[in-house]
Amino acid sequence: MSVKYVPVQWNRNKWMYDGFLLVGVGLFLGFFLHIRPDFLSGNDPRINAQILNARAFGVCAFLMLSIILSIGPLARLDPRFSALLYNRRHFGVMTAAVALTHFGFILNWYFAFSKSNKYEALLFANTNYGQIAGFPFEMFGLFALICLLILSTTSHDFWLKFLTAPVWKRLHYLIYPAYAAVVAHVALGMLQDASGNVFPALFVVAALIVAGLHVAAFVHDRRHGDPVAEPVAEGWFRICKASDIREGRARIGLLPNGERVAVFRQDDKLSAISNACAHQNGPLGEGRIVDCLVTCPWHGFNYDVRSGRSPAPFTEKIPTYNLKVHDAEVYVDPNANEPGTYVEPVEVPPLEGEA
Amino acid sequence: MSTAELIFVLVKAWLVTGAFVSVIFLTIGIDQIDEDAQDAYVFRPLLVPAILLIWPLVLWRWYVLKTGRDNPMSRFHPVRKAHDVVAVMLAAAIIAALVAGFSVRQTWPADADPVQLSEKSESSK
Amino acid sequence: MNDREDTPFFIGYLQVPQKLRKLLLVTALALVGFLLGAGLLIGRTQDTDPGGGAFRFDYGQQTVSGVVENLAYPLFHVTEGNDRLKPGQTLMLTGSGKDGVSNRTLPMVGKLATAKGIVLERGSLEMLQLAGGKRGLSEAEKQSSVSVPKPEDLGRWKLTGEICDGKCLSGAMRPGRGLAHKACANLCLFGDIPPVFVSTKPVKGSEFLMVLGPDGGALPKEAYDFIGQYITLEGAVARHGDMLVFKMDPETIELAS
Repeated sequence: MSVKYVPVQWNRNKWMYDGFLLVGVGLFLGFFLHIRPDFLSGNDPRINAQILNARAFGVCAFLMLSIILSIGPLARLDPRFSALLYNRRHFGVMTAAVALTHFGFILNWYFAFSKSNKYEALLFANTNYGQIAGFPFEMFGLFALICLLILSTTSHDFWLKFLTAPVWKRLHYLIYPAYAAVVAHVALGMLQDASGNVFPALFVVAALIVAGLHVAAFVHDRRHGDPVAEPVAEGWFRICKASDIREGRARIGLLPNGERVAVFRQDDKLSAISNACAHQNGPLGEGRIVDCLVTCPWHGFNYDVRSGRSPAPFTEKIPTYNLKVHDAEVYVDPNANEPGTYVEPVEVPPLEGEA
Repeated sequence: MSTAELIFVLVKAWLVTGAFVSVIFLTIGIDQIDEDAQDAYVFRPLLVPAILLIWPLVLWRWYVLKTGRDNPMSRFHPVRKAHDVVAVMLAAAIIAALVAGFSVRQTWPADADPVQLSEKSESSK
Repeated sequence: MNDREDTPFFIGYLQVPQKLRKLLLVTALALVGFLLGAGLLIGRTQDTDPGGGAFRFDYGQQTVSGVVENLAYPLFHVTEGNDRLKPGQTLMLTGSGKDGVSNRTLPMVGKLATAKGIVLERGSLEMLQLAGGKRGLSEAEKQSSVSVPKPEDLGRWKLTGEICDGKCLSGAMRPGRGLAHKACANLCLFGDIPPVFVSTKPVKGSEFLMVLGPDGGALPKEAYDFIGQYITLEGAVARHGDMLVFKMDPETIELAS
């Protein structure tokens, strides 16, 4: 939330999240690098430490990225996993660090020791762009690394506010081409040399889980997506029946201009606000009213449902919508009010069976 | 100059420009366009790496905010439609990469024997 | 959305709802367990045996005398050796890093020279990484009547295997072959390190053959498209000292099936 920026806003849940992450990454690297009886027995390891490290950090980054990519679709299939979205940015930053370490080991080993500058060597050493086997797969990795660096360096909340959430989100869509590039990087690189089936099998399973979850979430959204608001006379759009909206919850309507409106019920009064949170455009209508404030399901940003304003000292504002209730049906004027405009809530009959 | 050298020079120029932009933006610009950043200094060095990478975007947003061209409503149009297309394309790209990788994978042909084609190689060769 | 009345609601900066705690704990432990298991499994089953090639720093610096032969990449025929490197052995030469030594060997072709350096050894394949400058390679003070051994024509062959760079293959990098190593091998080859063909089975006693172009020149451009891949190709094989030299025909390269 806003009010004077600090480097990281820590809280107990973030500490836990990061703690589990660090332990997971530490165990992966530790086991990959050190639990090797055949390595420990000889004083001269049979493969170079640099190559062993490059493999360990590379595989680790791939698996971390696969997990990160799975969280989004998983949360859409089962909202309970939304909790994993919180603090996902820390996961991303850590992954970028692991990937950068992998890059360092490769660059300072395979591309070092020649007369050429090692960064230039990375670009010219292999130019077989016209073939699949022997393709300069390093370029896929380099592309993905640049994407990860852009994503991780722009993860601070300042960037969300400065760029606006839609621009920030567009930028962060880079994660998708980055992941595809990582799969290609591994498929044309390490996979080609790996004998045995363990790594290839794990690689395929991880990549297919990510692909499958995205397709499943896509199908799920098609079936259960937000309903389109119906146009009626005089420019009003029907959202739902007043009795469809539970206390402290919302119904979302998709307006013809592509905006989504969330109609909340608070103390048997209805208010309509933008479905997009000011912070990261999280779906407010999938959130709840907690302690009299609409709470975003992504990062817990709060708004007064009547004015679309965050409580002091916070300064976020979201657009509100005018609404009316006629014959127990809820109608919304699709022309949003300026962010932070107070709209008098509309009283509706209490729900049956609810106190 | 080879292509690799050219790219390397361009990358260095990009980063150096980014360094200039970050110095100016973090000392002058940021206070003008974000009141939450005023009197907050500890977090500013954190922004440097991003400015090095995406400085044109920084300059553009700075200009938009400074000149009052920012449309406050534009913040509330999440890019959700593209998500469907992207999800399907991602799945397709993953499968394409896997198929490509496995289709060219070779195993060491340990059983292949060297074949002698002639006793003497032609001297003309 | 499938948000039911009893679905717990997580707010990041508040305590985790009771109903979510178990799920999140199980998820977190599952992820940690997955990473641990994957690290153990992949770490243990990865390829760790790139064959016996290595830098033999344990031998210490070696000094030998011999004759320099001028192929596209120089060969050194030992005439006066030591316990490790015996007379009659043929060594490939390299500078430090990814640099060949042709500029240093050219003035000494056919002459008796003294070479100093560290041995790289992979089975019967031996390479000497020369120390810097004159210290690494110098003309012998007393020139006796030595000559480059006469090459023995072994005929034309069709071989199956892989083109590698001779230095990484000999043990400078472990592993030092394959497609993941291709860019590195290319850099060595650009730097004039001799290319070596690894045959699936020994040819006249050796599975390693130094590769030259069809006219005896440097590795042909076409070959670079196949570095690190398993291929079949034809060419003329000859024995120079105890080293096999393979003049490859680039038109005959095919991927091994």
